[in-house]
Amino acid sequence: MAKKWLEISVGGFLVAGVVALLALALQVSGTHMGGTSEQYQLSALFDNTAGLSAKARVTLVGVTIGEVEGVSIDSQTLMARVDMTIDSSVDYLTLDSSASILTAGLLGEKYVGLSVGADEDMLVHGDMIEDTQSALVLEELVGQVLLNLGND
Amino acid sequence: MSQTYLIEVRDLSFARADRLIFDKLNIKVRRGSVTAIMGPSGCGKTTLLRLIGGQLAPAQGDIFVFGEDLSNLSRDQLTSLRSRMGVLFQSGALFTDLDVFENVAFPLREHSLLAEDELQDQVLLQLEAVGLRGARHLMPSELSGGMARRVALARAIVMGPELILYDEPFAGQDPISMAVLQRLIRTLNDQLQLTSVLVSHDVAEACAIADEVILLGRGNLLAQGSPEELLNSSDPMVHQFMHGQADGAIPFHFPAPGLMTELRTESGRKQAALTVTADVQEAS
Amino acid sequence: MVFNWLQSLGEQTLQGLSRLGAALLMLLQSLMVLPGPRGWQRLTQQLYVVGVQSFIIILVSAGFIGMVLGLQGYTLLVDYGSEQAVGQMVALTLVRELAPVVAGLLFAGRAGSALTAELGLMKATEQLASLEMFGVDPLHRIVAPRFIAGLISLPILVIIFNLVGVYGGHLVAVEWLGVHSGAYWGNMQAAVSFSDDILNGLIKALVFAILVTWTALYQGYTCAPTSQGISEATTRTVVYSSLMILGFDFILTALMFGGL
Repeated sequence: MAKKWLEISVGGFLVAGVVALLALALQVSGTHMGGTSEQYQLSALFDNTAGLSAKARVTLVGVTIGEVEGVSIDSQTLMARVDMTIDSSVDYLTLDSSASILTAGLLGEKYVGLSVGADEDMLVHGDMIEDTQSALVLEELVGQVLLNLGND
Repeated sequence: MSQTYLIEVRDLSFARADRLIFDKLNIKVRRGSVTAIMGPSGCGKTTLLRLIGGQLAPAQGDIFVFGEDLSNLSRDQLTSLRSRMGVLFQSGALFTDLDVFENVAFPLREHSLLAEDELQDQVLLQLEAVGLRGARHLMPSELSGGMARRVALARAIVMGPELILYDEPFAGQDPISMAVLQRLIRTLNDQLQLTSVLVSHDVAEACAIADEVILLGRGNLLAQGSPEELLNSSDPMVHQFMHGQADGAIPFHFPAPGLMTELRTESGRKQAALTVTADVQEAS
Repeated sequence: MVFNWLQSLGEQTLQGLSRLGAALLMLLQSLMVLPGPRGWQRLTQQLYVVGVQSFIIILVSAGFIGMVLGLQGYTLLVDYGSEQAVGQMVALTLVRELAPVVAGLLFAGRAGSALTAELGLMKATEQLASLEMFGVDPLHRIVAPRFIAGLISLPILVIIFNLVGVYGGHLVAVEWLGVHSGAYWGNMQAAVSFSDDILNGLIKALVFAILVTWTALYQGYTCAPTSQGISEATTRTVVYSSLMILGFDFILTALMFGGL
């Protein structure tokens, strides 16, 4: 009988491990279940990304619709190129949509916020977003304020 | 195909750390006999058993068991050779997580293809031979030292070996257990046509059942012969060992300068003069 | 004088290397052969001894550490007005560092020392020699199942540590200190990545499992067969394992999170 208890507890131990792993995935890291939905890629060029990194959120009207795949330097334009994956269900991003780099919360986590424009045609896989607003860099802001003050 | 000598040790030399334990040792063990290997502590008796069992390799010399040179054997050949010998370790070495029955059944489960029923009968027969069939569900921790050794003995003979090596079977046993073990070693040897080699320093017990005694000392053979021959030997070292004398060829006192030179107080010296004998005072 | 010191250093290095080699050989030899018919049974038995019996200590430690993290995290962040981020602080600290390291250290102390002592005792009572005489390789029969059991157990214990710790933090931060539950989980989920954080933590757990179990088994297998020998070997297991966990933790952290 001691043997039975031993086997049961080992089995329970292994199951507890698997269940805990699932719970960690869902509850702690927010991994989404329900199958990987289709996605498509968009890119945008920015003057300054100021700390935007891969895995950052891409939002539309505050709702997360995708994430940043990577940030690199575009050697031709010498601007920062941000590649994003967007959920395929979001197929209403117009050609003249804009992308801005925003800061979430006081700890300064950067994310990309998109807004829809008025064009009739939509962005598709591989398109580039033209209208971009770079991140606000503190030093430049201060510089601008001083400049304005100086002009008064 | 039967050899007269089941074990032959030729010119064996073996050292451990910096100590030379055996220096060109020659020993022969006759088939079918009960041979006792004896000697003072540290003379290498247990080491010799390990060498015969193939667990240690000699620095020089050869060991022949069942006519085979141990150093020439492959791992598989050594394993099959070992299945023809049983070893009883000093502490019994029962597997602590198995009960008595499973301990004895262990070699059968490993090496034989017996059906469960036949296996059970074999185990019970062996346990009966050592008088412990009723204890078969006890765990090793519940056994006394003597009982543990008997179970280990049952385990050692269950595969029907031709040779059994006993490492200090009588050490630390009460008189009854000793008598039981003596009886078992002798009767099993004769009934099952075994050859038994026992390593011991219990002179009386070993001599009572041995056909041949091999006395080791100082890395080599001191004497070999029947128990009577050794008991009547005129060699001082043999005599001291066989008769259990406190002082003799191997002195009682560890070498030291004269006692009077080391004592510092008058009262100390007075005490020494009263209690210590004159010839010892001069030992240096 | 200096020459003597150099010479002894060289000797010690060579000895250390030879011991490492012997340890590796021992490990390889144990794992080389597929387990026999009773292999699963032995593995299950060892999983119980090594894993299940460490469960309680991991549970309790994780609970307290999670609670402390919640408390300390709150006190630190409240000065910046960022106390709502305590969830992600607790989770990241646990998943990346504390769970593998603390669970590893506890495992070394509890399971590691038990393995060493058991193996050492088997050596001292000649059970290992006995197995050899019966034609059974003690490395396959005794060492291998214990090693595999350690490899499976520690990662599972670390996963459980993570979960319990995060809930411990929740208990303190949300229930007692008034952090918003949604913010606790929401910020955490945004900040914790399964592949980058949780999986990396598990890789650490696996590395630590190998180090601890291997050390414990080697020390037990090679100890002097006396009671003093066993106790020294047990001490060595705990000390060496702990130092190796901390050292490898730095290396792994640098590789995984430091962008080296």
